[in-house]
Amino acid sequence: MSARGKLIAVIGDEDTCTGFLLGGVGELNKNRKPNFLVVEKETSVAEIEETFKSFLARSDIGIVLINQFIAEMIRHAIDGHLESIPAVLEIPSKEHPYDASKDSILRRAKGMFCAEDFR
Amino acid sequence: MVVLELEESSLLLDEKLLRFMDQLELLEEKRADLNSLIEQGWFSMSKARYSMGNKRVSALQYASEIEPLVCVHARTLDNGEVDFCTERSKQKARDEAGKEARSIEDIGPQEEGVRRRNKPKNNVPEKKEGEEASSEKAPEVTPIRKSDQNLQQDPLKWFGILVPQTLKQAQSSFTQVIELSAEIATLQTAILNSRQELKQCRKDKPILQEVSATRLEKLTD
Repeated sequence: MSARGKLIAVIGDEDTCTGFLLGGVGELNKNRKPNFLVVEKETSVAEIEETFKSFLARSDIGIVLINQFIAEMIRHAIDGHLESIPAVLEIPSKEHPYDASKDSILRRAKGMFCAEDFR
Repeated sequence: MVVLELEESSLLLDEKLLRFMDQLELLEEKRADLNSLIEQGWFSMSKARYSMGNKRVSALQYASEIEPLVCVHARTLDNGEVDFCTERSKQKARDEAGKEARSIEDIGPQEEGVRRRNKPKNNVPEKKEGEEASSEKAPEVTPIRKSDQNLQQDPLKWFGILVPQTLKQAQSSFTQVIELSAEIATLQTAILNSRQELKQCRKDKPILQEVSATRLEKLTD
């Protein structure tokens, strides 16, 4: 698998997924499991979380791209992921611009300078 | 001796902190680039949707067989950082090279090559060999594994054969976004790594300070 390289998974709204699939990241594997999830109004948080966890568990995925507003819905799951592979990247969506203060990584980095660290 | 160690560790801590700050700054820059590229991609996609029709650029058009054209290589470095780099599949490059020849094949009949309905009779006088070879070579070259072609086809074709230029622009924006996102992923792991190192240094420093303080006290006594 390492010779082939890893995949980039996407969890996002329709436009985000369509854009990234146009870029060529999409895959439907032999079990017809996609490496993307189009989140619509009807998509439940449980489904998003389950898909996110399944992407984290897959060894053929190197990066998980997720819209920040969706990441907000499953923040606990994202904060709980501490491994460097797959890397989780929060990206903006059409209706929700990127907010650095919500980003898991930046919040962790910011935590460097809080009072607790000086103790 | 301990004072020297303390100074060294302080310098190291400063160095790490500066590196950490630089990485954060770089991340912010790359994030800004990524955001503007994504916006550009959406804008182009919306324009394409405007000219093609609302429902013509949506999840409904995704192909039933999707093969990735880009993959990412994750390499773990000695210091624990992970380097992500994207790689486009070679099939894509080949696709582009022989674009014209193949576009004809794509819309043509399922069977590739020319069918020879009237087999030449054996008693026909020997044809000029050069002619024979050239007429036979053509169909031999054309048979391309149709299934492979379909699997690794350009996602643009999901949305039609003649797609507007704006959709191509959207594709190129998102292609750049993919490359940039790999760079950001690398930077993120570097930042987390630096953070961990800084934390460790901070923990070690007070111990050194205590040791040096007690040594100094002993010396003064």
